[in-house]
Amino acid sequence: MSVIICRKEHVANPWYVDGLGINIHSSQELCYAIYHHPLLFMDGFVDGNLVEFVREELGMGFVAARMEQRIKTGDKPDEILLMFMQECDYYTTAELNKLRQTMTSLRKLSPLEYAKKKADYLAEFKQYGKAIAGYEEILEAAAKQSDSQLEGRVWNNLGACYARIFQFQKAMDAFDKAYGKKKDPLILEKMYYLTCLSPALELKERFRSLVTEKQQEQWEESFKKAQDKAVESPELKKLQELFEKDSQKRAKESAALVEEWKQEYRNMA
Amino acid sequence: MEGLVLGLDLCDAYTQLICSQGEKTWTLPTVICRKKDQDLWMVGEPAYASALKGDGVIVDKLVKLVCKDGTSTISGIKYGGMQLMVQFLVQVLALAKEEYRTDQVQKLVITVPRVDTRLLEVLRTCGDYLGIKPGGIHIISHTEGFMYYVLSQKREVWNNQVGMFDLSEDGLCYYEMKVQRGMRQSTVVAERERLEESFDLDILNSPPGAKMADKILCSCGSRLLQKKLFSSVFLTGEGFLNRDWAVNFMKFLCTRRKVYMEDVLFAKGAMYQAEDLLREKSAYPFVYICEGRLDCSVAMKVMSKSQEGLLSLAKAGQVWYEAATETEVILDNQDYLEFMVMPLDSKKNKLLKMVLEGFPKREDKTLRVLVQTEFLDERTMSVTVTDQGFGEFFPPTGAVIRQEVML
Repeated sequence: MSVIICRKEHVANPWYVDGLGINIHSSQELCYAIYHHPLLFMDGFVDGNLVEFVREELGMGFVAARMEQRIKTGDKPDEILLMFMQECDYYTTAELNKLRQTMTSLRKLSPLEYAKKKADYLAEFKQYGKAIAGYEEILEAAAKQSDSQLEGRVWNNLGACYARIFQFQKAMDAFDKAYGKKKDPLILEKMYYLTCLSPALELKERFRSLVTEKQQEQWEESFKKAQDKAVESPELKKLQELFEKDSQKRAKESAALVEEWKQEYRNMA
Repeated sequence: MEGLVLGLDLCDAYTQLICSQGEKTWTLPTVICRKKDQDLWMVGEPAYASALKGDGVIVDKLVKLVCKDGTSTISGIKYGGMQLMVQFLVQVLALAKEEYRTDQVQKLVITVPRVDTRLLEVLRTCGDYLGIKPGGIHIISHTEGFMYYVLSQKREVWNNQVGMFDLSEDGLCYYEMKVQRGMRQSTVVAERERLEESFDLDILNSPPGAKMADKILCSCGSRLLQKKLFSSVFLTGEGFLNRDWAVNFMKFLCTRRKVYMEDVLFAKGAMYQAEDLLREKSAYPFVYICEGRLDCSVAMKVMSKSQEGLLSLAKAGQVWYEAATETEVILDNQDYLEFMVMPLDSKKNKLLKMVLEGFPKREDKTLRVLVQTEFLDERTMSVTVTDQGFGEFFPPTGAVIRQEVML
């Protein structure tokens, strides 16, 4: 329990964090973002641009000079990042030690596991386009190493990402491959739901034979429950209210809403 | 000449003005008069003369009028206390400007018997109308004027305690100050007591009244001065200009004490401060504890470099109306702020807790708040805490809390 004094920072040009889709306006926010999402900051983040931001926007000239020096001497980016955070005096030494441990354990992962973790992270933050690119790179490399378990998990996550951006055929193909590697009944269930979402799709014969009637009934029930839940969602209610408004207001607000959706989709894909 | 450096003593009964550039002093009653048929203003004796002739309307007790936010109607025009005060000060300063042939005022320190919030506000605003740059006008209490005056004298005058009686139409007051020498810095503590035994100066005009006044002062003197070691005792105010009526009091006072009479004491003290404010390094390097200044320091408990510390918000001796701060802090796993109030006697330190009720419950280290402090008087600190949000992670909720903290 404590009270932390905030430095007076006049950030005119905030730092945009791609993975989070937000602008950073202070050293505390930057530290917070790094602490909670280290994976987004561990590769290619510590560079001249960051030094410039620290110097010009955060007004931490001395720290920027130290960072610059350490970059030149080839110091580890993680250590430079931790040094910056130490200087910001936002996290305690104990908290930074915890972060150091997290970063070390992430670095200890095999390159493919590390890449998957990162792609999973992007997917978690709805950055599906970037996550898909990441998964595809992993699959290319994993194929050479013939790690079928890893491949299965990556195909599965890739399928989920495609489904989130409404590319159901691609999602179906990915789940197909995932099942080929993992033989997990959960993947079958996902494929079944895809057929519900997109009636043009259907389960391949070899999968249909694996699904029992009882399983199908259960999945149908789950899907119906999900649909009922969706009907009650606040977003849908907002939409219904919109359609109850007079035509002028409706036109204006629907245009804004569609624009918002488009933007959201662009960010995702 | 860069501009006048002035000390002004402003009371309801009289006003005194002194300028650093010369010896001349002006003493005039605090009254203002406006000609009935033209926008012509007069102060002091000419104001009385005009009112007696019947061609002007006089307004007195200007300080009270300002404090009460009152108005006065002259020839059908309603004037606010501030308007009249501005006019009065314009006329008074014109006396010095004319004498020293300059329009510029570099520094003006006004000393008033009591530092009232409304009076402060008005006098500071007057600075704009008087053509004085921001920061060129300061308002201090009589007590502070007394301190500056005494400290400008030889050291032997203020080695021990210093007492002072001020007898004027505004009443009888006793002042006492003492320099407490410290390892790093010395502190001067002064207090003012308005004596209940106060009397009207008119009684001095009759022998029985004068005798009674002498008796009253003797009784006050023995009550206030006995069993204390005084380096000096001062007398000031219109009542002491002639001391023939106070035979016994003077006899009592002058026994084993050095007694000084100074009739322009507060204005001179104000002028010494005005001169000092223009110096790069103060000639009076003391911490001043008196009316108009804080008698304790206030700090907020914070963490810095993983260690508990105190962030200073106000220091003992600081002018309370200038002691305003703004700080942004982040609350880490707590929903309150703690303020440490530190009087000169550290045994009396106390910790005040301010719970931020109604503020959002956010995860650790993301509740960023703006803490604004200001003082309403020497004893009351006002604290306003506003939720600032945490960037785009958590937008501000608009939660605000304001509390007055009695020190």
